[in-house]
Amino acid sequence: MSASETTAAESVRCDHCMQETGRDTAVTAVIDGRKRYFCCHGCLGVYELVNSSSLEAFYRQRCDWQPGPPATGVKLRSAHFTDTVTIAGDEHRIELLLSGIRCASCVWLIEKFLAKIEGVLSARVNYATHKAVITWSGRKTKLDTILNAIRDIGYLPHPAHINARSTVFAEEKQDLLLRFGTAGFFSMQLMLFTSALYAGFFQGMESRYRVAFQLISWALATPVLIYAGFPFLSSAWRSLRRLTLNMDVLVALGALSAYLYSIAMIPLGGEVFFDSAAMIITFILLGRFLEAGSRLKAGNAMAELAELQPHEALLLSENGQTTMVPIAAVNPGDRIEVIPGDRIPLDGVVIEGEAEVNESMLTGESRPVLKAPGSDIFAGSFSMNGRLTIKVTGNSSTTLLSRIIKTVEDAQARKAPIQNIADKTAGLFVPVTILLAFTTFLYWKLSSGSTVTALLNAVSVLVIACPCALGLATPLAILVGTTAAGKKGILVKGGDIFETLSRTTTVVLDKTGTITRGKPSITDLHDFARTPAFLQHAASLEASSEHPTALALAGAWDSDLLKVDHFRAIPGRGVSGMITGESWLAGSEPFMKQEAVAITPEERFIAAKLEAEGKTVVMVACNGMLAGVIGLIDDLRDDALPLIEGLRKKGLSIQILTGDNRGVADYIAARCGITDVQAALGPLEKAAVIRELKAKGECVMMVGDGINDAPALTEADTGVTVGQASGIALESAGVAILKDDLRLINTLLDSSSKCFSVIRQNLFWAFAYNLIALPLAVTGVLHPIISALLMATSSLVVVSNSLRLKRI
Amino acid sequence: MYTIFFLIGIGLFVGVAAWFLFIWAVKSGQFDDPEAPKYRMLDDDDVAAKTAKPLERQEK
Repeated sequence: MSASETTAAESVRCDHCMQETGRDTAVTAVIDGRKRYFCCHGCLGVYELVNSSSLEAFYRQRCDWQPGPPATGVKLRSAHFTDTVTIAGDEHRIELLLSGIRCASCVWLIEKFLAKIEGVLSARVNYATHKAVITWSGRKTKLDTILNAIRDIGYLPHPAHINARSTVFAEEKQDLLLRFGTAGFFSMQLMLFTSALYAGFFQGMESRYRVAFQLISWALATPVLIYAGFPFLSSAWRSLRRLTLNMDVLVALGALSAYLYSIAMIPLGGEVFFDSAAMIITFILLGRFLEAGSRLKAGNAMAELAELQPHEALLLSENGQTTMVPIAAVNPGDRIEVIPGDRIPLDGVVIEGEAEVNESMLTGESRPVLKAPGSDIFAGSFSMNGRLTIKVTGNSSTTLLSRIIKTVEDAQARKAPIQNIADKTAGLFVPVTILLAFTTFLYWKLSSGSTVTALLNAVSVLVIACPCALGLATPLAILVGTTAAGKKGILVKGGDIFETLSRTTTVVLDKTGTITRGKPSITDLHDFARTPAFLQHAASLEASSEHPTALALAGAWDSDLLKVDHFRAIPGRGVSGMITGESWLAGSEPFMKQEAVAITPEERFIAAKLEAEGKTVVMVACNGMLAGVIGLIDDLRDDALPLIEGLRKKGLSIQILTGDNRGVADYIAARCGITDVQAALGPLEKAAVIRELKAKGECVMMVGDGINDAPALTEADTGVTVGQASGIALESAGVAILKDDLRLINTLLDSSSKCFSVIRQNLFWAFAYNLIALPLAVTGVLHPIISALLMATSSLVVVSNSLRLKRI
Repeated sequence: MYTIFFLIGIGLFVGVAAWFLFIWAVKSGQFDDPEAPKYRMLDDDDVAAKTAKPLERQEK
């Protein structure tokens, strides 16, 4: 009936972007003697260009490409970029942030394509950060040429404005890499001398060699402790001064005590343990470095998203003149103009003009959406073909785009309650450990009389107790888990939500717009053949109404509409009007009765049958006689059944809540085999139902479309919205699935339970290690070096266990 | 007799040289992109020489 119902058999894969597209709607071209299909002219253009530059190897090489459209259609102004260009003689250099990079071959394509441009000296693209560094000769080419070349092959350059957040992350990562590398180098050198000293301990060693080796060890351990360990030392110092003990205190304490003890032992002729001090710091730095790497990646993704929002807008003044102003100068209520191919700078409402708008960056839906006066429009999307006048409704920090960015950033900062436990434990752990170490020292001092043994065992206790595996256990698993989910288009607002999700027992589904299409479609058409083309008349009549049923009817007729005079809409009942001198009515049965339309028993029987099937019945009458009956239904989405089946397999109980009437609700419930249905509920009643479920001890996940379900979404333990980019949806739900695919809810539940089983394993391991090793250390069985080794192993176990979550 | 100290001296010298090399590598951005090089080496092409040269100059 409509274009959206093309089945898989009729679809082809776009030869450029690899997205599925209808065979009939695809753009085709014969290139190199083969017929090729494209989803749009943009893809065709890119394909031709790549082919004509003899870079078609790109299409053979790419193996990890994620299907998705190229970034096209946006006009580039080099003026936005000039402030980031540095000039040295004739050599110009620019750093750009590129969006649209989907695989390593994209890097190859961009570099090769740019290298072919006359005057370009070098082009280097960083695959990890999506940043490009390009140098060119100012005499031979212009920045415009370069920027547009990048755009022409389907990537979008943004000026790499110094983004405070990601710069900080990058600096932090480099700093940690330097510290970790230094610690690693010196620890390795240190191990050479330490193993010699160990050999000497067992086999005997001339004392001058021993002293020399100990002095060298000291020299090698010092930079590790002072430079590489500086972050721990300063953090521990700060935390001690504020009297809030954290885990860095333990690390610093363990390393410092081993270090100072060893220094004292050199003149006394005892054994030294500089290597323990160096090892602790090296291994914890490795953990920090890995974490900083993933934070940097997330920060870059956010920066790329933020760059979608233009920095300037075309302000429309009262007398119709336009001026380019920075978006900070635009106030809510101002009117701005958007020309075809430009990105929308601010959220607003269209007041004039019509255009197809690409909102893929916000919703993941690649098909453009038609925007007409009255439609909401969002910053970051771009107009593909029409000129629009927009009334701005907010400022640059309230746009949907910036709220999405903020949501994600908040999510990354939010801690899971389980992690607070780890932090609280650390607060308790530190004094207990210090006390334990002190007791150990006293006990051994008194019982054996040897300060050396006593100190050694005390140091052992400090080193063993350092709960760095405990500290890594939760944040790392959550970080890896949410990043993997984000890659699939699932935005999880925080670690706590991931945790609650894994405990879900009941899933509550909203009907309209969530598991159904949200748009009724015609299923039955009874034409009583008293008037020709009654559907045409009905569609013409309904075309002036805004009601969803009316829209469905109007949409079912795709040729000419007739002129309607004296149009009248009676809310909740129907519409009436004059068409070519005849009086036409369309609406519900009570409306027909009210207008005194004669209905025969046979006609009433048809209507009753349709109603019993849960369909909405529209009657159409002409001059007081019934012309036909139309049955419409808001049918199940194709992906609703796989979702319900998946939920059932997990053993979750499923409920449907709807504001619709009983008949429709029962019909849909029967279609998906759910018995628990509650119909005719208002937004607050839905929330009440969920509150009741929670009172019974259920952990409730609510899936809704975000607007009338907002109270229920907030009430539920976790709220999930699918395919909806409305601001309310983002605020009230804990999880926003940006891609319009219900099956992702199953993926979400799977990944959350997997994430939490990994966290539980991590915590179990970390605690078990401490519980077993601590008594051994207290009793003096463990040498500090063995404890340092054990501790490092336990951290590595936790890290590698968490990294398993990457593949979900 | 003093051979061992001599050798230790050489060993430390080499170690510290490697450390300086590492610091140089980090500062000049050799570790910035751990992903692309593994694919880059698989590209067989003619333009590589052209793009590589200016980069070397840049680093000096």
